[in-house]
Amino acid sequence: MTSRRSAPAFAIIALLVAACGPKEKAFKIAVAVPLTGDMGTEGQGLRRAVEMAVEEANTAQRFPYKLAAVPFDDRADPKEAVNVANLIISDPRIIAVVGHYNSGCAIPAAKVYARAPVAMISPAATNPEVTAQQLSPDWIGPKMVFRVVPTDDVQGAYAAEFTYRKLGKRRMSLLHDKTPYGQGLAEQFKKTFLQLGGDIVTEDGVAVGDKDFKALLTKIKGSVKKTEGLYFGGLYTEAGLLLKQMRELDMKDPFVFISGDGSKTSGLFEVAGESADGAYLSIVGVPVEDLPSAAKFMADYKKRWTGSGEELKPFDHFGYEAARIIFAAMEKGATNRAQMIEELRKTDFTGALGLTRFDAKGDTLNKIVTMTRAKSKGRSFDSIR
Amino acid sequence: MLAQQILNALTLGAIYSLIALGYTLVYGILAMINFAHSEVLMLGAFTALGLATFAPAAFGSGPSALAAMFVAGMAAAGLVNVVVERFAYRPLRAVSRLAPLISAIGVSIVLQNGVFLWISTQSLSFPRPVVIGQISLFGASVSSLQLVILGAALGLMGLLHFFVESTKMGKAMRACADDISTAGLMGIDADRVIAVTFFVGGALGGAAGVLYGMNYGSIKYNLGFLPGAKAFTAAVLGGIGNIRGAVLGGFILGLLEVLACGYIPDGAQWRDVIAFTVLIVVLLVRPSGLLGEKMAEKV
Repeated sequence: MTSRRSAPAFAIIALLVAACGPKEKAFKIAVAVPLTGDMGTEGQGLRRAVEMAVEEANTAQRFPYKLAAVPFDDRADPKEAVNVANLIISDPRIIAVVGHYNSGCAIPAAKVYARAPVAMISPAATNPEVTAQQLSPDWIGPKMVFRVVPTDDVQGAYAAEFTYRKLGKRRMSLLHDKTPYGQGLAEQFKKTFLQLGGDIVTEDGVAVGDKDFKALLTKIKGSVKKTEGLYFGGLYTEAGLLLKQMRELDMKDPFVFISGDGSKTSGLFEVAGESADGAYLSIVGVPVEDLPSAAKFMADYKKRWTGSGEELKPFDHFGYEAARIIFAAMEKGATNRAQMIEELRKTDFTGALGLTRFDAKGDTLNKIVTMTRAKSKGRSFDSIR
Repeated sequence: MLAQQILNALTLGAIYSLIALGYTLVYGILAMINFAHSEVLMLGAFTALGLATFAPAAFGSGPSALAAMFVAGMAAAGLVNVVVERFAYRPLRAVSRLAPLISAIGVSIVLQNGVFLWISTQSLSFPRPVVIGQISLFGASVSSLQLVILGAALGLMGLLHFFVESTKMGKAMRACADDISTAGLMGIDADRVIAVTFFVGGALGGAAGVLYGMNYGSIKYNLGFLPGAKAFTAAVLGGIGNIRGAVLGGFILGLLEVLACGYIPDGAQWRDVIAFTVLIVVLLVRPSGLLGEKMAEKV
């Protein structure tokens, strides 16, 4: 029964598709981010931002075809990111990828996308290697990696200048979580801090998932050359535990804790509570609240996402912008993967982040870094000017 | 600095020891490794958090709240362990040595994913009902939390010692550990003794879970894995099946980790390697662990 009734329907659909040609196809944009696990909250925020951008484009009927955002969960795990990337390239209707969140995931996944090739715009991965790997002679495929966030070399260097000039610290301890992101941040911090004339007193690595840093912190505290602060390259879980245990060891003001954007999320307060007070966290770009160009995005976001836990996350505006840059390329006529890569290279887009253009590697030329300070009351990060 | 490091080691060691006791008690009686123990301690921590979140009125604050969290965490963890034993291990006990082991791994996965899917995939903030003050002692800054952890752990170990050595049930447990079938012939209800052992082991794990949560300030569905693995190591180091050995092993492991981290250059990255290398060396010299006796093969 069913088959007989659906047969004419299929014929009609087939006719329609044939009549309308390739322009009438629905296009998909993959959102490859961690949707579960430690980084899940940030990934879910990015998914919401891209979905919102897609909904807006569909409602405004910007294109003669339908758009859809398809989320993929890389669980912040490089192995899973590669699996997800393989799934993505095998779906011919996916025209571009917004992702990945972690540098550790973006680096191997980009190699898979290059084989297709399909363009990838990362809204959050800040390790220089994400785009720099395309310059290596082993790179197979065209240059198709783009990113709308400034990189760690900007962030780490900015933090070092801030520590040296604004905070007046000369002797710092260095700690990172051995991931491409964390180590990248720490190395850039070290380079600039030494150039400025500062001294790195201790340097250690920890493992993601470690809980007990007391022994290490005691060692840092007792270092012969009195250290004046700690720079940590890593994510909020470890940063929160570090802060908590630092305070318990009486390492507080004027001893400073400085870290990067991976720790600047409300999750930090979940882990560290009041111990987070006074921590300095650099972020790429300007906090979305301070960006006049992002005011409309923020208002729309709050209207669209009202559930609990659906508040704006730190990278959402980058995700939104990445999606809109893809739309701009489609508007200029990109209707397949190769044209998309071509058009993205020529991007000249003014949106929520201000003006975005890409350099030869695919990195944004819009490179601002802001330092913020954590305040547990109200769970806010106030920017320092 | 040394004083501070030793204090750090004691806190870490106390938590390892409490968890190690759970492994060793079960092993002592059944010669079986309860791989679900790490999840039992995680559930203890989550129960205490649930109590603090959903019944703050009954929960109060200050020392009474602390006591309530311990009681809730220990009771829940103990009961979970008993239920697991009854339904996942007991039916398999007669089948083979390997079957309950696999069953334990299964239970561990089920419990961990249950919390992951139904409760939270994220780190949850864990309350500290007592105000954390700090005092300076021999140049080390001692927090009241560390005193709570050490006090609770040592107190529970003392209670366990009393229970095993001086009560009738403890005597029955020792008899079962010696030879479970002979103990049964002497009129000891082995099933009941085993259930009690699982309850006691689980409750100690639950207490460790609560201490763990308070020490690190946040808990997550997979929090049991790492301390569970370390505590299991500690139990083997001390001589699995031996109660004093588990305590000794826990403290030694804590000390090794802290010293590796504090005094060896780049030690933070190598601390597990160092701790486990020492374990291997100890086992090469004393295969049954530091305090373990050479056991006759049970037939």
